[in-house]
Amino acid sequence: MINTLEPLNIAFKSLAGNKLRSLLTTMGVIIGVAAVITLVSMGEGAKSYIMNQVGSWGMGSNSITVQPGSGDATVPELTLTLSDATALRQKVNNLQYLMPEFVGRGEMVFGKKKYQPSFTMGVSADYPFAYKQAAVEGRFFSAADEAGRKHLVVIGKTIVKNLFGNYSPVGETIKLNGSGFIVIGVLEEKGTMLSYDMDDMALIPSTLSESVLKTNKIWEMFITVNNETQVPQAMAEIRQILLERHKKEDFHMHNQQGLIDIINNILNALTGIVSAIAAISLLVGGIGIMNIMLVAVTERTREIGIRKAIGAKQFDIFLQFVFESVLITMTGAIVGIIIGTLAAWGIMTALKMPAVIAWGAVYIACFVAFLVGTFFGVYPAMQAARMNPVDALRFEA
Amino acid sequence: MSNKPVVSIVDVKRIYQMGTVEVQALRGVNLQITKGEFISIMGPSGCGKSTLMHILGCLDRPTSGLVQIDEVDISKLDDNELAKIRNKKVGFVFQTFNLLPKLSAIENVELPLIYAGIKFDERRARATELLAMVGLAERANHRPSELSGGQSQRVAIARSLANNPSLVLADEPTGNLDSKSGAEIIHLFKQLNDRGVTLIMVTHDQEIGNQSKRLVRLKDGLIVSDDKIR
Repeated sequence: MINTLEPLNIAFKSLAGNKLRSLLTTMGVIIGVAAVITLVSMGEGAKSYIMNQVGSWGMGSNSITVQPGSGDATVPELTLTLSDATALRQKVNNLQYLMPEFVGRGEMVFGKKKYQPSFTMGVSADYPFAYKQAAVEGRFFSAADEAGRKHLVVIGKTIVKNLFGNYSPVGETIKLNGSGFIVIGVLEEKGTMLSYDMDDMALIPSTLSESVLKTNKIWEMFITVNNETQVPQAMAEIRQILLERHKKEDFHMHNQQGLIDIINNILNALTGIVSAIAAISLLVGGIGIMNIMLVAVTERTREIGIRKAIGAKQFDIFLQFVFESVLITMTGAIVGIIIGTLAAWGIMTALKMPAVIAWGAVYIACFVAFLVGTFFGVYPAMQAARMNPVDALRFEA
Repeated sequence: MSNKPVVSIVDVKRIYQMGTVEVQALRGVNLQITKGEFISIMGPSGCGKSTLMHILGCLDRPTSGLVQIDEVDISKLDDNELAKIRNKKVGFVFQTFNLLPKLSAIENVELPLIYAGIKFDERRARATELLAMVGLAERANHRPSELSGGQSQRVAIARSLANNPSLVLADEPTGNLDSKSGAEIIHLFKQLNDRGVTLIMVTHDQEIGNQSKRLVRLKDGLIVSDDKIR
């Protein structure tokens, strides 16, 4: 019995003897695989980037976000108020933190300098815990400060830079929308998120939102419970309390899992579409390979005749041609994986996003290429194996 | 020499179906060949020489009759068993050499050894020895395109001997060669025959045919004469 490595060796030699044709035949597979790997790797990178962003915004698995409006795509009417927040704080079981956000405009004046930060928000004293962003200088205002409507403000580094330069602002008095506020703390640096400067932010007690920010409507409410198993029950309680107060469902809520599910659904749908396109390109590549293999079998009829005359069995010839086809696709898959990974890495680096090697896609690409090579190689190889040696030897190319 | 028959052919007929017409290529051929013989088969084109060669070489099966090679009836063998016989018992030398153009001389000589399942080191040694025997040791790594016709045919002869076959079949081995190279090939055949190789050669060249020891003439699918000439 002939050693199985021999047909592989023979196949390799005949491909190496026809370099340009082998390269062109492989091209279909290379392009198909490279495209899939690039897109899937980019998708995975984007996914991990988005998940990271979600994580860094303080969302935890024990958190619930309550937002005004029904949750459809229209611009919501702001329906939640500070008294809703107070009611939830009193009635929801296992509540850990409750953080309403009142968003307004803030004109700051310090000495002769004026500055308007991107975000001026009324928040609760739970802010540093709920959003995992502490005051690195001075302190955050307390629940007592909040209840006592103390005119205290905590500011981000960008505001410090614009209003105070290199001085420590803690203890200084500034004017915010015309009323005096004492700066009691500077927020830990957060950097940018989705191109917003998260350090260009001033926070005041939620109880002062109406008088200073001229809004008594909550933009969004961030709630955490003691542990994630309590999330469904807490959501039910929140819903019941708010329904009692509002008499209609003019609010909606979601938890982290819901958000992750939504993002995953979108990305998985995109991956599905990409995979379908890839499947088509691999199919086209496979048909190209089969076409070339059929030409090769005809062209090499005499070679087949010679090999049979000196003792090649049908199966030896069959293996030789199947191996050629598999070698072409596997080489294409490996080159495609390398090109695709490099391309994804380059693009993601340029976009300042993490590059992730999509190992799942790599394995699937190898496997599919193997299947395509085998499937589209079998028919031509059978044609070759079944040739009558006498006719094959008479064949004139 | 022993008298054990290498080839035994009894009443062999081969009929081809060409569309609706039946062509009787062989119409009842009888031939016994013993070890160490050097036979020429001659005859006009269409006489059945090639068909007889194909049957002797196990490339084709007779329509009826008995064909034995080393006392094995080949008409009962399947394609893979025939391939095995071709590999081990028969060596082919063709008019157009039929070397694989992408392989070097030594790789061409190794081919039958590959299909016999012989490991690299052993077959490389055997092929080197065979190339030396046909006087081409220094051309081992040249491709057929870099060899002359006579050299190519010598590579083909080395290949035909790779598995120590019971018989070597040569189909017009000098047909594509100039007379000097042709004479060299015939000389090589004679040397091989002196070493005990059984040779069957198809030719239409009387001069070449006269170099063998036995001359068989075919006409219209039948043997018309069978003479010892030396």
